[in-house]
Amino acid sequence: MPYEALDFYDVDSLLTEEERMVRDMVRDFVDNDVLPKIEHACRDGVFPDEWRVTLGEMGVLGAPLKGYGCPGLSYTAYGVICRELERGDSGLRSFASVQGSLAMYPIWDFGSEEQKNYYLPKMTSGEWVGCFGLTEPDYGSNPGDMITKAEDKGDHFLINGAKMWITNGTIAQVAVVWAKLDGVIRGFIVEKGDEGFSAPEMKGKHSLKASVTSELVFQDCKIPKDRILPGVKGLRGPFSCLNNARFGISWGAIGAAQACFNSAREYSLSRIQFEHPIASYQLIQNKLSWMLREITKAQLLAYHLSQKKDSGEWIPEHISLAKMNNVDIALEIARVARDIHGANGILDEYPVMRHMANLESVKTYEGTHDIHNLILGRHITGIQAFTRGIN
Amino acid sequence: MTIAVLLKQVPDTTAKIAVSGGRVDQLSVSKWSTSPYDEYALEYALKLKEAGAGNLVAITCGPQRASKMLTDAAAVGADSMLHILADTSEMDSEQIQSILAAAIRHCEAEIVLCGKQAADTNSGSTGPGVASRIGAACVGMVSEVEVEGGSFSALRASSSGNERVSVSKPCLFTFDKAATELRRPNVKGIMMAKRKVIETVSPQDLGVEIGDSKVNIESQNSPPEKPPGQKFEGAESVPIVVLKLREEANVI
Repeated sequence: MPYEALDFYDVDSLLTEEERMVRDMVRDFVDNDVLPKIEHACRDGVFPDEWRVTLGEMGVLGAPLKGYGCPGLSYTAYGVICRELERGDSGLRSFASVQGSLAMYPIWDFGSEEQKNYYLPKMTSGEWVGCFGLTEPDYGSNPGDMITKAEDKGDHFLINGAKMWITNGTIAQVAVVWAKLDGVIRGFIVEKGDEGFSAPEMKGKHSLKASVTSELVFQDCKIPKDRILPGVKGLRGPFSCLNNARFGISWGAIGAAQACFNSAREYSLSRIQFEHPIASYQLIQNKLSWMLREITKAQLLAYHLSQKKDSGEWIPEHISLAKMNNVDIALEIARVARDIHGANGILDEYPVMRHMANLESVKTYEGTHDIHNLILGRHITGIQAFTRGIN
Repeated sequence: MTIAVLLKQVPDTTAKIAVSGGRVDQLSVSKWSTSPYDEYALEYALKLKEAGAGNLVAITCGPQRASKMLTDAAAVGADSMLHILADTSEMDSEQIQSILAAAIRHCEAEIVLCGKQAADTNSGSTGPGVASRIGAACVGMVSEVEVEGGSFSALRASSSGNERVSVSKPCLFTFDKAATELRRPNVKGIMMAKRKVIETVSPQDLGVEIGDSKVNIESQNSPPEKPPGQKFEGAESVPIVVLKLREEANVI
């Protein structure tokens, strides 16, 4: 059966024709190229390289960026792309988020003209993969206290430190790395093969198994002086990137939730217990209607946010709310869907447990659920509650 | 030189078809798609265009919703699109053929590709009918077409072997399922498609007097429901199962 996306309020009718065509293109890719291979990719713990090639051929990487060979689509189209990719797998969407919002975007916004012309065409085509180094082993929610530092050695920069939980790290040709130069956070472009740079893969994940997660290690890593991003200083740099990635996640989570809803609906209609399909029982209907309710609200939230993003009338807190809410409900929907599938829910014959495990990561990365609550709390009260003095 | 591909929008092969009052209820069709054989025709039309055989025009005759197919065709590489806006639901094959033939003349196309039959009506008359009206050689049920010097070489496959046919223009090919991947659009193609304007005309604009339909569809009805499956248990039922597979299902 072809995929029928749950869209109770027909929110997709608000998309432009172009956005719908992009949706159908990505949906076709997920149906034909991703879903037949995803479970194998997860079992083997690999991100299939042909997906990188096809994402580049479709021209969706760095979707909302304009110029330098980039697609120049709307943020709404970028959201739709994320949703359709994550219907396949959060790992696949993570690849696209990191490439577009975390690696291409900072070069596009803060890079020099030379840097943009050199890197962006190779990255939008998928020829080069990018990654984003912000989080460190000891600094996750609190990136401002990062240890990684860069030193100006006259004719080069010397970087020392380590980054962790870096999606695409091992397969990336380009790493956008945030490090302190004279105590100020700056962005640096580090290339695979640079002296003193290595990116070992982190193994043993129970989540995002079809995605490469790595450490980035800098031991007297020497890079040329023209690899610093000239256009930004301080946390505003990485946070601008995260805003875009989080925006995409708020759409992506809906895709995972839609996949879980569909599987739960189908399963409950075909699974017979006590002589009737379990879908005929009130407990199951209650769960399904709750899923429909939450998915519909999430769709409206994401669509309205994307309109604000496209018109420029948004604040980071808007994105925090959508990322937090949509991932939260997607994870709960995945858990309830797993429940509806009974014992079968733990098998990879069904997508629900894979989505459930993936969404645990999605809830945590790009600002944890709790951190987004604190961002909203600060917005409401004017008092930051991230930190306090303990004596 | 111009290559034309004829596309028909049909209910998606997975869409549920509702019948009411002896007629297919078109409003109940949840998804409309390009007829699958036409998709192969489009794929080979694009290959011909890429081989330098000429510009590609995508043509359809149908209601407003059919224009989506033309935009989709433009997204994968059709150069121009012609939509003959008409309610075709009560037209007979001759009327459709005369409209499409006029459209092909209007575009001055000399190579025409279309599906061997549409997934909804399955009548298979459009290709040959249009070919006879425009005076083109018609090669039916092909699964491949390529440029060969000044002529076109088509492969016709059958269970008893393959036949290669070479024709010169004007010519028309009707497509069977082909052993090729259908291309997916990309973002650049989709954005280009937005800029291409669909030429929309009426049959009258093309100088076609369609007259009255000579065919009257008396009624349409859903296929009978499939009989329920049969279940056999235990080794003793093997002879019965073998017999049924041989004599009823004709699979062994």
